[in-house]
Amino acid sequence: MLSQLKLVQPATVREASQALADYGEKAKLYAGGAELLLLLRNGLLQSEILIDVKKIEALHRIRLDDGVLSIGACLTHRALETSTLVRAHAPALAYAESQVANVRVRNQGTLGGNLAFNDPHSDPGTVLLIHDASVVIGNESGERRIALNQFFLDMYATALEPADVLLEIEVPALPAGMKEAYLRLHRYQRPTLGVAAGGLMSDGTLEEVRLAVGCMGPKAERLTQLERKIAGVNLADAKRVLAEENNYLRELLRPVDDLLGSAEYKLYMTGVMLGEALKHVMQNGNELP
Amino acid sequence: MIPQSTFNLSFIVNGKSWSGEVPIEETLLEFLRNRLRLTGTKRSCESEVCGACTVLVDKRSVSSCNYLAFEAHERAVLTIEGVAQNDELDPLQQAFIRNIGAQCGYCTPGQIMAAKALLIENPHPTREQIAEWLSGNICRCGAYGAIAQSILEAAQEYQKSKV
Repeated sequence: MLSQLKLVQPATVREASQALADYGEKAKLYAGGAELLLLLRNGLLQSEILIDVKKIEALHRIRLDDGVLSIGACLTHRALETSTLVRAHAPALAYAESQVANVRVRNQGTLGGNLAFNDPHSDPGTVLLIHDASVVIGNESGERRIALNQFFLDMYATALEPADVLLEIEVPALPAGMKEAYLRLHRYQRPTLGVAAGGLMSDGTLEEVRLAVGCMGPKAERLTQLERKIAGVNLADAKRVLAEENNYLRELLRPVDDLLGSAEYKLYMTGVMLGEALKHVMQNGNELP
Repeated sequence: MIPQSTFNLSFIVNGKSWSGEVPIEETLLEFLRNRLRLTGTKRSCESEVCGACTVLVDKRSVSSCNYLAFEAHERAVLTIEGVAQNDELDPLQQAFIRNIGAQCGYCTPGQIMAAKALLIENPHPTREQIAEWLSGNICRCGAYGAIAQSILEAAQEYQKSKV
Protein backbone atom coordinates (compact mmCIF):
# COMPACT_ATOMS: atom_id res chain seq x y z
CA MET A 1 0.00 0.00 0.00
CA LEU A 2 1.04 3.55 -0.64
CA SER A 3 1.37 5.77 2.40
CA GLN A 4 -0.73 8.92 2.66
CA LEU A 5 -0.32 11.41 -0.17
CA LYS A 6 -1.56 14.90 -0.91
CA LEU A 7 -2.06 16.42 -4.33
CA VAL A 8 -1.66 19.78 -6.04
CA GLN A 9 -2.45 20.31 -9.70
CA PRO A 10 -0.76 23.48 -10.94
CA ALA A 11 -1.98 24.93 -14.24
CA THR A 12 1.27 26.70 -15.11
CA VAL A 13 5.00 26.02 -14.96
CA ARG A 14 5.40 28.98 -12.60
CA GLU A 15 2.88 27.47 -10.15
CA ALA A 16 4.55 24.06 -10.34
CA SER A 17 7.97 25.57 -9.65
CA GLN A 18 6.51 27.63 -6.80
CA ALA A 19 5.03 24.47 -5.28
CA LEU A 20 8.42 22.75 -5.51
CA ALA A 21 10.06 25.72 -3.81
CA ASP A 22 7.36 25.85 -1.09
CA TYR A 23 7.26 22.16 -0.20
CA GLY A 24 10.89 21.22 -0.89
CA GLU A 25 11.90 17.63 -0.26
CA LYS A 26 8.39 16.66 0.82
CA ALA A 27 7.07 17.10 -2.73
CA LYS A 28 7.75 15.27 -5.98
CA LEU A 29 6.75 16.14 -9.52
CA TYR A 30 4.28 13.58 -10.79
CA ALA A 31 3.41 12.93 -14.42
CA GLY A 32 2.54 9.34 -15.42
CA GLY A 33 3.63 7.88 -12.11
CA ALA A 34 4.84 4.70 -13.79
CA GLU A 35 8.16 4.81 -11.94
CA LEU A 36 7.47 7.23 -9.08
CA LEU A 37 4.59 5.24 -7.56
CA LEU A 38 6.67 2.05 -7.63
CA LEU A 39 9.47 3.72 -5.71
CA LEU A 40 7.05 5.17 -3.18
CA ARG A 41 5.33 1.82 -2.66
CA ASN A 42 8.63 0.06 -2.12
CA GLY A 43 9.86 2.67 0.32
CA LEU A 44 12.80 3.69 -1.90
CA LEU A 45 11.57 7.26 -1.94
CA GLN A 46 9.57 9.28 0.57
CA SER A 47 7.09 11.91 -0.47
CA GLU A 48 4.01 13.50 1.06
CA ILE A 49 2.89 15.69 -1.81
CA LEU A 50 2.48 14.93 -5.49
CA ILE A 51 2.73 17.91 -7.82
CA ASP A 52 0.74 16.70 -10.83
CA VAL A 53 2.09 18.53 -13.88
CA LYS A 54 -0.35 17.00 -16.37
CA LYS A 55 -2.72 20.00 -16.14
CA ILE A 56 -0.02 22.20 -17.69
CA GLU A 57 -1.14 22.32 -21.29
CA ALA A 58 2.22 23.24 -22.80
CA LEU A 59 3.73 19.96 -21.57
CA HIS A 60 1.47 17.99 -23.93
CA ARG A 61 2.50 19.77 -27.13
CA ILE A 62 4.50 18.25 -29.95
CA ARG A 63 5.65 20.29 -32.93
CA LEU A 64 8.19 20.30 -35.73
CA ASP A 65 9.81 23.66 -36.21
CA ASP A 66 12.73 24.33 -38.52
CA GLY A 67 13.93 20.72 -38.43
CA VAL A 68 13.69 20.46 -34.63
CA LEU A 69 11.03 18.24 -33.09
CA SER A 70 9.90 19.60 -29.70
CA ILE A 71 8.26 16.97 -27.51
CA GLY A 72 6.26 18.01 -24.44
CA ALA A 73 7.53 16.28 -21.30
CA CYS A 74 4.10 14.81 -20.46
CA LEU A 75 3.64 12.90 -23.71
CA THR A 76 3.46 9.17 -23.05
CA HIS A 77 5.76 6.55 -24.55
CA ARG A 78 2.74 5.15 -26.37
CA ALA A 79 1.84 8.54 -27.84
CA LEU A 80 5.39 8.92 -29.16
CA GLU A 81 5.64 5.34 -30.44
CA THR A 82 2.52 5.92 -32.56
CA SER A 83 3.14 9.59 -33.48
CA THR A 84 3.53 10.11 -37.25
CA LEU A 85 5.79 13.10 -36.49
CA VAL A 86 8.19 11.01 -34.38
CA ARG A 87 8.12 8.05 -36.79
CA ALA A 88 9.11 10.31 -39.69
CA HIS A 89 11.59 12.55 -37.86
CA ALA A 90 13.31 10.01 -35.58
CA PRO A 91 12.23 6.45 -36.48
CA ALA A 92 14.74 4.91 -34.07
CA LEU A 93 13.16 6.93 -31.25
CA ALA A 94 9.68 5.67 -32.23
CA TYR A 95 11.11 2.15 -32.22
CA ALA A 96 12.85 2.61 -28.84
CA GLU A 97 9.57 3.92 -27.38
CA SER A 98 7.77 0.82 -28.71
CA GLN A 99 10.20 -1.34 -26.72
CA VAL A 100 9.67 0.31 -23.33
CA ALA A 101 8.38 -2.30 -20.83
CA ASN A 102 4.84 -3.27 -21.89
CA VAL A 103 1.90 -1.43 -23.41
CA ARG A 104 0.36 -0.60 -20.00
CA VAL A 105 3.53 1.14 -18.85
CA ARG A 106 3.76 2.93 -22.22
CA ASN A 107 0.17 4.15 -21.84
CA GLN A 108 1.04 5.69 -18.48
CA GLY A 109 4.74 6.61 -18.45
CA THR A 110 5.98 9.84 -20.02
CA LEU A 111 9.20 10.68 -21.85
CA GLY A 112 9.82 13.60 -19.49
CA GLY A 113 9.40 11.40 -16.44
CA ASN A 114 11.71 8.79 -17.90
CA LEU A 115 14.52 11.28 -18.58
CA ALA A 116 14.10 13.13 -15.28
CA PHE A 117 14.28 9.83 -13.40
CA ASN A 118 17.40 8.75 -15.34
CA ASP A 119 17.11 5.07 -14.58
CA PRO A 120 20.23 3.60 -16.19
CA HIS A 121 18.07 0.82 -17.68
CA SER A 122 16.13 3.03 -20.05
CA ASP A 123 15.67 3.15 -23.83
CA PRO A 124 14.75 6.58 -25.24
CA GLY A 125 17.70 8.58 -23.86
CA THR A 126 20.20 6.52 -25.86
CA VAL A 127 18.54 7.38 -29.19
CA LEU A 128 18.10 11.01 -28.20
CA LEU A 129 21.90 11.27 -27.73
CA ILE A 130 22.61 10.53 -31.39
CA HIS A 131 20.15 13.31 -32.29
CA ASP A 132 22.11 15.80 -30.14
CA ALA A 133 18.88 16.40 -28.22
CA SER A 134 18.47 19.08 -25.55
CA VAL A 135 15.99 19.55 -22.75
CA VAL A 136 14.18 22.78 -21.95
CA ILE A 137 13.86 23.42 -18.23
CA GLY A 138 11.61 26.01 -16.59
CA ASN A 139 11.29 27.56 -13.15
CA GLU A 140 9.97 30.77 -11.65
CA SER A 141 12.70 32.90 -13.16
CA GLY A 142 12.44 31.63 -16.73
CA GLU A 143 13.64 28.90 -19.05
CA ARG A 144 16.98 27.41 -19.98
CA ARG A 145 18.26 24.76 -22.35
CA ILE A 146 20.73 21.96 -21.54
CA ALA A 147 22.24 19.42 -23.93
CA LEU A 148 21.03 15.96 -22.97
CA ASN A 149 24.59 14.66 -22.48
CA GLN A 150 25.02 17.33 -19.80
CA PHE A 151 21.57 16.74 -18.34
CA PHE A 152 22.37 13.11 -17.47
CA LEU A 153 24.80 13.38 -14.56
CA ASP A 154 24.87 9.94 -12.97
CA MET A 155 22.66 7.02 -12.03
CA TYR A 156 19.25 8.54 -11.13
CA ALA A 157 20.84 12.01 -11.12
CA THR A 158 20.24 14.88 -13.54
CA ALA A 159 21.03 18.57 -13.83
CA LEU A 160 17.53 19.45 -12.55
CA GLU A 161 17.68 21.91 -9.63
CA PRO A 162 15.17 21.62 -6.76
CA ALA A 163 12.54 24.01 -8.25
CA ASP A 164 13.06 23.01 -11.90
CA VAL A 165 10.41 21.55 -14.18
CA LEU A 166 11.36 19.62 -17.31
CA LEU A 167 9.27 21.18 -20.09
CA GLU A 168 10.30 19.88 -23.46
CA ILE A 169 12.74 17.64 -25.25
CA GLU A 170 14.17 19.19 -28.41
CA VAL A 171 15.21 16.68 -31.05
CA PRO A 172 17.12 18.13 -34.02
CA ALA A 173 16.97 16.20 -37.30
CA LEU A 174 19.97 14.02 -38.17
CA PRO A 175 22.23 15.43 -40.94
CA ALA A 176 20.61 15.10 -44.38
CA GLY A 177 20.74 11.49 -45.63
CA MET A 178 21.80 9.97 -42.31
CA LYS A 179 19.87 6.81 -41.32
CA GLU A 180 19.36 5.63 -37.76
CA ALA A 181 18.64 2.47 -35.80
CA TYR A 182 18.15 1.38 -32.19
CA LEU A 183 18.72 -2.18 -31.02
CA ARG A 184 18.39 -3.71 -27.60
CA LEU A 185 19.13 -6.85 -25.73
CA HIS A 186 16.61 -7.54 -23.00
CA ARG A 187 15.19 -9.97 -20.48
CA TYR A 188 11.92 -9.63 -18.58
CA GLN A 189 11.03 -6.37 -20.37
CA ARG A 190 14.09 -4.56 -19.02
CA PRO A 191 16.95 -3.74 -21.37
CA THR A 192 20.34 -5.28 -20.59
CA LEU A 193 21.86 -3.12 -23.27
CA GLY A 194 20.63 -0.57 -25.80
CA VAL A 195 22.61 0.79 -28.74
CA ALA A 196 21.75 3.59 -31.14
CA ALA A 197 23.55 4.25 -34.41
CA GLY A 198 23.31 6.89 -37.08
CA GLY A 199 25.19 6.55 -40.35
CA LEU A 200 25.66 8.49 -43.54
CA MET A 201 26.64 6.09 -46.32
CA SER A 202 28.52 6.86 -49.46
CA ASP A 203 29.69 4.13 -51.89
CA GLY A 204 29.67 1.45 -49.22
CA THR A 205 31.64 3.46 -46.66
CA LEU A 206 30.35 5.10 -43.50
CA GLU A 207 31.04 8.74 -44.23
CA GLU A 208 29.73 10.00 -40.90
CA VAL A 209 28.74 7.96 -37.85
CA ARG A 210 27.00 8.60 -34.55
CA LEU A 211 26.93 5.98 -31.81
CA ALA A 212 25.43 5.82 -28.32
CA VAL A 213 25.11 3.08 -25.71
CA GLY A 214 22.74 2.84 -22.77
CA CYS A 215 21.99 0.53 -19.80
CA MET A 216 25.61 -0.56 -19.34
CA GLY A 217 26.69 1.73 -16.53
CA PRO A 218 25.43 4.80 -14.68
CA LYS A 219 24.11 6.67 -17.74
CA ALA A 220 23.74 6.56 -21.51
CA GLU A 221 26.81 7.80 -23.40
CA ARG A 222 27.77 9.04 -26.89
CA LEU A 223 30.87 7.28 -28.23
CA THR A 224 32.47 10.29 -29.92
CA GLN A 225 36.02 8.90 -29.99
CA LEU A 226 34.86 5.70 -31.66
CA GLU A 227 32.71 7.63 -34.14
CA ARG A 228 35.81 9.40 -35.43
CA LYS A 229 37.70 6.12 -35.82
CA ILE A 230 34.90 4.53 -37.83
CA ALA A 231 34.20 7.47 -40.13
CA GLY A 232 35.41 6.68 -43.65
CA VAL A 233 35.56 2.88 -43.41
CA ASN A 234 33.23 0.12 -44.65
CA LEU A 235 31.05 -2.07 -42.41
CA ALA A 236 33.51 -4.97 -42.17
CA ASP A 237 36.30 -2.61 -41.05
CA ALA A 238 33.94 -0.82 -38.68
CA LYS A 239 33.12 -4.14 -36.99
CA ARG A 240 36.84 -4.88 -36.66
CA VAL A 241 37.44 -1.50 -35.00
CA LEU A 242 34.50 -2.06 -32.63
CA ALA A 243 35.91 -5.41 -31.53
CA GLU A 244 39.24 -3.77 -30.69
CA GLU A 245 37.79 -1.00 -28.54
CA ASN A 246 36.96 -2.92 -25.37
CA ASN A 247 39.15 -0.73 -23.19
CA TYR A 248 37.64 2.51 -24.45
CA LEU A 249 34.12 1.11 -23.95
CA ARG A 250 34.96 -0.19 -20.47
CA GLU A 251 36.31 3.17 -19.30
CA LEU A 252 33.51 5.21 -20.82
CA LEU A 253 30.53 2.98 -20.04
CA ARG A 254 31.66 1.59 -16.64
CA PRO A 255 29.68 -1.68 -16.95
CA VAL A 256 28.82 -3.63 -13.82
CA ASP A 257 28.07 -7.29 -13.13
CA ASP A 258 24.42 -7.79 -12.30
CA LEU A 259 21.57 -10.27 -12.75
CA LEU A 260 21.32 -9.33 -16.42
CA GLY A 261 24.89 -10.42 -17.11
CA SER A 262 28.56 -9.95 -16.31
CA ALA A 263 30.39 -6.75 -17.27
CA GLU A 264 32.53 -8.80 -19.69
CA TYR A 265 29.47 -10.23 -21.41
CA LYS A 266 27.88 -6.80 -21.74
CA LEU A 267 31.07 -5.31 -23.17
CA TYR A 268 31.37 -8.09 -25.72
CA MET A 269 27.72 -7.70 -26.69
CA THR A 270 28.12 -3.92 -27.00
CA GLY A 271 30.63 -4.43 -29.81
CA VAL A 272 28.38 -7.00 -31.49
CA MET A 273 25.23 -4.90 -31.17
CA LEU A 274 26.91 -1.72 -32.42
CA GLY A 275 28.00 -3.64 -35.51
CA GLU A 276 24.46 -4.95 -35.97
CA ALA A 277 23.04 -1.44 -35.54
CA LEU A 278 25.37 -0.13 -38.25
CA LYS A 279 24.22 -2.98 -40.49
CA HIS A 280 20.61 -1.93 -39.85
CA VAL A 281 21.52 1.64 -40.70
CA MET A 282 22.88 0.48 -44.06
CA GLN A 283 19.63 -1.43 -44.65
CA ASN A 284 17.25 1.44 -43.87
CA GLY A 285 16.95 1.31 -40.09
CA ASN A 286 14.35 -0.19 -37.77
CA GLU A 287 11.21 -1.86 -38.98
CA LEU A 288 8.50 -0.01 -37.07
CA PRO A 289 5.70 -2.07 -35.52
CA MET B 1 -2.32 26.10 -3.74
CA ILE B 2 -3.26 23.99 -0.77
CA PRO B 3 -2.43 20.30 -1.11
CA GLN B 4 -5.57 18.17 -0.87
CA SER B 5 -5.61 14.72 0.70
CA THR B 6 -8.77 13.56 -1.07
CA PHE B 7 -10.17 13.95 -4.56
CA ASN B 8 -13.77 14.41 -5.62
CA LEU B 9 -13.85 11.62 -8.15
CA SER B 10 -16.59 11.18 -10.70
CA PHE B 11 -16.33 8.49 -13.35
CA ILE B 12 -17.94 5.50 -15.04
CA VAL B 13 -17.20 1.88 -14.16
CA ASN B 14 -18.64 -0.78 -16.46
CA GLY B 15 -21.30 1.64 -17.71
CA LYS B 16 -22.42 2.87 -14.27
CA SER B 17 -21.47 6.27 -12.89
CA TRP B 18 -19.83 6.63 -9.51
CA SER B 19 -19.09 9.81 -7.58
CA GLY B 20 -17.45 10.32 -4.24
CA GLU B 21 -14.32 11.24 -2.38
CA VAL B 22 -11.21 9.07 -2.56
CA PRO B 23 -7.84 9.44 -0.84
CA ILE B 24 -5.10 10.54 -3.27
CA GLU B 25 -3.02 7.42 -2.58
CA GLU B 26 -5.86 4.98 -3.32
CA THR B 27 -5.05 2.94 -6.42
CA LEU B 28 -7.68 2.01 -8.98
CA LEU B 29 -7.11 -1.65 -8.05
CA GLU B 30 -7.93 -0.96 -4.38
CA PHE B 31 -10.93 1.11 -5.41
CA LEU B 32 -12.36 -1.61 -7.66
CA ARG B 33 -11.77 -4.51 -5.29
CA ASN B 34 -12.48 -2.90 -1.92
CA ARG B 35 -15.19 -0.36 -2.65
CA LEU B 36 -17.07 -1.89 -5.56
CA ARG B 37 -16.22 -5.51 -4.72
CA LEU B 38 -15.22 -6.06 -8.33
CA THR B 39 -12.74 -8.76 -7.42
CA GLY B 40 -12.25 -10.10 -10.94
CA THR B 41 -9.33 -7.67 -11.27
CA LYS B 42 -6.43 -9.40 -9.52
CA ARG B 43 -3.62 -8.12 -7.37
CA SER B 44 -0.32 -9.81 -8.03
CA CYS B 45 3.14 -8.32 -8.72
CA GLU B 46 2.28 -4.68 -7.95
CA SER B 47 5.08 -3.59 -10.28
CA GLU B 48 3.32 -3.27 -13.67
CA VAL B 49 5.03 -6.42 -14.86
CA CYS B 50 2.56 -9.33 -14.63
CA GLY B 51 -0.66 -7.88 -16.05
CA ALA B 52 -3.08 -9.58 -13.61
CA CYS B 53 -4.59 -6.19 -12.65
CA THR B 54 -5.11 -4.97 -16.24
CA VAL B 55 -8.22 -2.81 -16.77
CA LEU B 56 -9.18 -0.40 -19.53
CA VAL B 57 -9.35 3.34 -18.93
CA ASP B 58 -10.90 5.09 -21.92
CA LYS B 59 -10.23 1.90 -23.93
CA ARG B 60 -6.50 1.81 -23.10
CA SER B 61 -4.97 -0.83 -20.88
CA VAL B 62 -3.33 0.19 -17.61
CA SER B 63 -1.96 -1.61 -14.56
CA SER B 64 -4.62 -0.69 -12.00
CA CYS B 65 -2.16 -1.56 -9.18
CA ASN B 66 0.01 1.41 -10.11
CA TYR B 67 -2.65 3.81 -11.34
CA LEU B 68 -4.14 6.24 -8.82
CA ALA B 69 -7.94 6.11 -8.76
CA PHE B 70 -8.29 9.90 -9.05
CA GLU B 71 -6.64 9.73 -12.49
CA ALA B 72 -9.79 8.04 -13.80
CA HIS B 73 -11.77 11.24 -13.14
CA GLU B 74 -14.29 11.84 -15.94
CA ARG B 75 -13.12 8.71 -17.72
CA ALA B 76 -14.70 5.32 -18.44
CA VAL B 77 -13.24 2.21 -16.80
CA LEU B 78 -13.93 -1.30 -18.06
CA THR B 79 -13.14 -4.35 -15.92
CA ILE B 80 -13.62 -8.06 -16.60
CA GLU B 81 -17.07 -7.82 -14.94
CA GLY B 82 -18.20 -5.42 -17.67
CA VAL B 83 -17.04 -7.42 -20.66
CA ALA B 84 -20.09 -9.71 -21.07
CA GLN B 85 -23.29 -8.17 -22.45
CA ASN B 86 -25.90 -9.16 -19.82
CA ASP B 87 -25.90 -12.98 -19.91
CA GLU B 88 -24.09 -13.19 -23.24
CA LEU B 89 -20.37 -13.83 -22.84
CA ASP B 90 -18.03 -11.77 -25.03
CA PRO B 91 -16.51 -13.67 -28.00
CA LEU B 92 -13.16 -13.41 -26.19
CA GLN B 93 -14.54 -15.12 -23.09
CA GLN B 94 -16.22 -17.81 -25.21
CA ALA B 95 -12.99 -18.45 -27.12
CA PHE B 96 -10.97 -18.72 -23.87
CA ILE B 97 -13.45 -21.34 -22.60
CA ARG B 98 -13.51 -23.23 -25.92
CA ASN B 99 -9.70 -23.38 -26.18
CA ILE B 100 -9.06 -23.87 -22.45
CA GLY B 101 -7.07 -20.62 -22.49
CA ALA B 102 -6.40 -20.94 -18.75
CA GLN B 103 -5.29 -23.45 -16.20
CA CYS B 104 -5.42 -21.90 -12.72
CA GLY B 105 -7.21 -18.85 -14.13
CA TYR B 106 -5.60 -16.18 -11.96
CA CYS B 107 -4.14 -14.24 -14.90
CA THR B 108 -7.19 -14.74 -17.13
CA PRO B 109 -9.09 -11.50 -16.37
CA GLY B 110 -5.92 -9.55 -17.16
CA GLN B 111 -5.29 -11.57 -20.33
CA ILE B 112 -8.83 -10.90 -21.54
CA MET B 113 -8.66 -7.18 -20.75
CA ALA B 114 -5.28 -6.90 -22.53
CA ALA B 115 -6.76 -8.74 -25.51
CA LYS B 116 -9.79 -6.44 -25.46
CA ALA B 117 -7.52 -3.39 -25.67
CA LEU B 118 -5.58 -4.99 -28.52
CA LEU B 119 -8.69 -5.78 -30.57
CA ILE B 120 -10.05 -2.26 -30.06
CA GLU B 121 -6.85 -0.84 -31.51
CA ASN B 122 -6.08 -3.57 -34.03
CA PRO B 123 -9.08 -5.72 -35.03
CA HIS B 124 -6.96 -8.07 -37.18
CA PRO B 125 -3.79 -8.87 -35.22
CA THR B 126 -1.34 -11.50 -36.42
CA ARG B 127 -0.10 -14.15 -34.01
CA GLU B 128 3.18 -12.20 -33.73
CA GLN B 129 1.35 -8.97 -32.87
CA ILE B 130 -0.66 -10.84 -30.23
CA ALA B 131 2.55 -12.27 -28.74
CA GLU B 132 4.18 -8.83 -28.67
CA TRP B 133 1.13 -7.13 -27.12
CA LEU B 134 0.63 -9.82 -24.48
CA SER B 135 4.31 -10.02 -23.56
CA GLY B 136 3.32 -7.95 -20.51
CA ASN B 137 0.76 -10.51 -19.28
CA ILE B 138 2.37 -13.43 -17.53
CA CYS B 139 0.71 -16.87 -17.33
CA ARG B 140 2.63 -19.06 -14.91
CA CYS B 141 0.68 -22.14 -16.07
CA GLY B 142 1.93 -21.52 -19.60
CA ALA B 143 -1.38 -21.38 -21.48
CA TYR B 144 0.10 -18.93 -24.00
CA GLY B 145 -0.65 -21.01 -27.12
CA ALA B 146 -4.31 -21.40 -26.21
CA ILE B 147 -4.54 -17.73 -25.21
CA ALA B 148 -3.17 -16.56 -28.58
CA GLN B 149 -5.49 -18.97 -30.43
CA SER B 150 -8.48 -17.65 -28.45
CA ILE B 151 -7.66 -14.07 -29.41
CA LEU B 152 -7.29 -14.97 -33.09
CA GLU B 153 -10.67 -16.70 -33.02
CA ALA B 154 -12.35 -13.86 -31.12
CA ALA B 155 -11.04 -11.38 -33.70
CA GLN B 156 -12.81 -13.42 -36.39
CA GLU B 157 -16.00 -13.57 -34.32
CA TYR B 158 -16.01 -9.78 -33.85
CA GLN B 159 -15.60 -9.42 -37.58
CA LYS B 160 -18.53 -11.77 -38.32
CA SER B 161 -20.83 -10.00 -35.89
CA LYS B 162 -20.08 -6.69 -37.62
CA VAL B 163 -21.16 -7.98 -41.07
